[in-house]
Amino acid sequence: MCGITGILDKNLNRDGQRELILKMTSTLQHRGPDGWGIYLSPGCALGHTRLSIIDLSSGHQPMATEKYIISYNGEIYNYEEIRDSLKQKGVRFKTRSDTEVVLRAYEFYGKKCFPMFNGQFSMLIKDRISGDLTIARDRYGVRPLYILKNNGAYYFSSEMKAFDTINGLKRTINRSNMLTHALAWNTLDDATLFDNIRSLPGGTYEVYSSDGTVTNRRYYELGETEKCIPADYESAKEEFSALLNDAVRLRLKSDVEVGTYLSGGIDSSVITHLTSHHNNAQFKTFSVGFTDAEFDESKYQNEMSDKLNSDHLMLPVDYSLIDQTYLEASYHFERPVFRTAPVPLFLLSREVKNRNIKVVLTGEAADEILYGYDTYKELNMLRQWKENPGTGSIHGMIRQLYPHLQYFADPKKLGFIKMYYEDFLGDFDNELAGLNIRIKNNAIMASMFHREWGISFNREKLLEETKSILPENYGSWSLLQKNQFLEMKTLLSGYLLSSQGDRMSMAHGVEGRYPFLDHRLIEKIFYYPDSFKLSGFSHKHILRDSFRGTIPDSIIDRPKKPYTAPDLQSFHRDGAWTETASYFLSPERIAEYGIFDPGFVQRFCRKFINGLPVEIGYRDNMVASFILSAQMIQYWINNPKKHTLKEEIKTVEISDY
Amino acid sequence: MLENIKKLLLEFICRNFMVDENDVPQDRSLVDAGIIDSIGLIEISNFMEKEFNIMIDEEHLTRENFGSVEKMVNFIKRQMES
Repeated sequence: MCGITGILDKNLNRDGQRELILKMTSTLQHRGPDGWGIYLSPGCALGHTRLSIIDLSSGHQPMATEKYIISYNGEIYNYEEIRDSLKQKGVRFKTRSDTEVVLRAYEFYGKKCFPMFNGQFSMLIKDRISGDLTIARDRYGVRPLYILKNNGAYYFSSEMKAFDTINGLKRTINRSNMLTHALAWNTLDDATLFDNIRSLPGGTYEVYSSDGTVTNRRYYELGETEKCIPADYESAKEEFSALLNDAVRLRLKSDVEVGTYLSGGIDSSVITHLTSHHNNAQFKTFSVGFTDAEFDESKYQNEMSDKLNSDHLMLPVDYSLIDQTYLEASYHFERPVFRTAPVPLFLLSREVKNRNIKVVLTGEAADEILYGYDTYKELNMLRQWKENPGTGSIHGMIRQLYPHLQYFADPKKLGFIKMYYEDFLGDFDNELAGLNIRIKNNAIMASMFHREWGISFNREKLLEETKSILPENYGSWSLLQKNQFLEMKTLLSGYLLSSQGDRMSMAHGVEGRYPFLDHRLIEKIFYYPDSFKLSGFSHKHILRDSFRGTIPDSIIDRPKKPYTAPDLQSFHRDGAWTETASYFLSPERIAEYGIFDPGFVQRFCRKFINGLPVEIGYRDNMVASFILSAQMIQYWINNPKKHTLKEEIKTVEISDY
Repeated sequence: MLENIKKLLLEFICRNFMVDENDVPQDRSLVDAGIIDSIGLIEISNFMEKEFNIMIDEEHLTRENFGSVEKMVNFIKRQMES
């Protein structure tokens, strides 16, 4: 992948501009260790760090034609088809790169090119004649693009750390957004955790005109394609498998070796299996293993790897490694996280890089588009309960929902869970859908923050904010489709793909590719009947059915086990908090950063004075990971790292002065 | 007796859920107040059974008995007396 930066500032002179774009770009070298380049012009500068994957010898950026300059981070998987089509229309190409295809496509089609791309991208395109800057992002927000507005100037970057190089600027946490983030796992729409920093929404582009106006246009929204329901379930399975297979095929296009992540779950097992169809040679697979059996999935990873005879690397991770790596990983994930799960992925991408692999295919997004999460089941259950109140079947449904939770061996405990779900009957089918459940589960988070913040959760405001991002046809969707939409806008794009996905792999210059995020696949199955995806309590039904017989049953029939890593146990060992945890949870640090209520943190720290309980609650794990990571985010803002670009790998410097 | 029950219950809630006593509403649902989640209610009921030596059956699991600290205190007292 790559890193991109940009500056729009009429008040910077050439030297000041050059100095700043170099500083900003220098912070993104981990994303692009193979080369870098800059573009300078009155009022506008662009920067680029490159991870070379296609056309290693040319394809340097920023790339120029007479009319346009581009700085782009991404892969367009159908770039060859688009190139052929453009060639037929008389367009001439100088390189073999996909970058040039994007540039020429933009030149030829203008903004209409964006929906043609099947891929993941963020890009900045400067019109050298008019002075306009157009920025765009892929449909689902796979590749990041942040925009900072400061004193009338705009700054753009793949990661927010580039903004820390701007003189006189220190990122400040927006308190209201922090609360939304804590409750819903992400802010909504284009908001980020920080004041004056936005994230360009997926599926949109913006034009910054030379006269100062900014316009945003959406070129794609989920569910926009006309409904085309297959004749029956069997045809659906065929259609689905064919599309998924093609999504994998496209994403294997590369001039460098491609590997896959193999977590032991069905999603990555299917992706790896399909990869083997297109790879004659042995290919590399990677996974994380845990010394703590509660988290370890290596049995299933090995099963798949043995079956496909892949060259498998399993990286063992223990509590102490997570503790030692958390601070460094937080430099990359750039926002508080609720789980330490991103950290092993950070460590894994380092191993991948050490084995000279730059691209991996992974199974993200299957849970969103195929109804893999428990929330889908819960919503279904609530809907049935509301339609048939007073039936005894609710107990049976709850038991099916939590087969692994030992609490429910005792039948009266079921009563509490029933009481818990009863509270949702009133609003589970409002615009927030499954977010209602997430917010309630996270409600404890609201009491952690500093009293002076004076913020409290405003459900009405969140409902209004949510309504403002809903497409016109939202009302016609089923409850589960609505939930898919919200999951993709919040948890997936804002957290799984960014903090846990892009940021963790790009920390070591490894590009993740996500076949389940092929828009043809997503659009095709969006209007499949819900029951194809969630049949009773059988989640991802069509996926499991389609690959039964090819993927081992032990993997097909595994209950949903979200990928997690040890949280609290990593930071509290042998009866005490670790050195890192003690430092960041200390009263001095808590007071200095001013994010959290000192009393709350003190009580939390004291809670484990007699050691950790055998069963650590969901809440305690979440609080530990969240508070520590938030403190670390503030630490990095206060102490930004300094970088310098390596002169010997500079590829281009283009100037329009 | 009620005062003693309340004292012990509040101590448990504050210790286990990391809240200050001043932040625990007496007459509102602890779940609605964001202090506990559903697993929290299970933890509280386990504590009640052990600490006060009472039996809690499925039929007791209602908002009338668990819908606030005051209601819980009254429920515990009733169970102890029965």
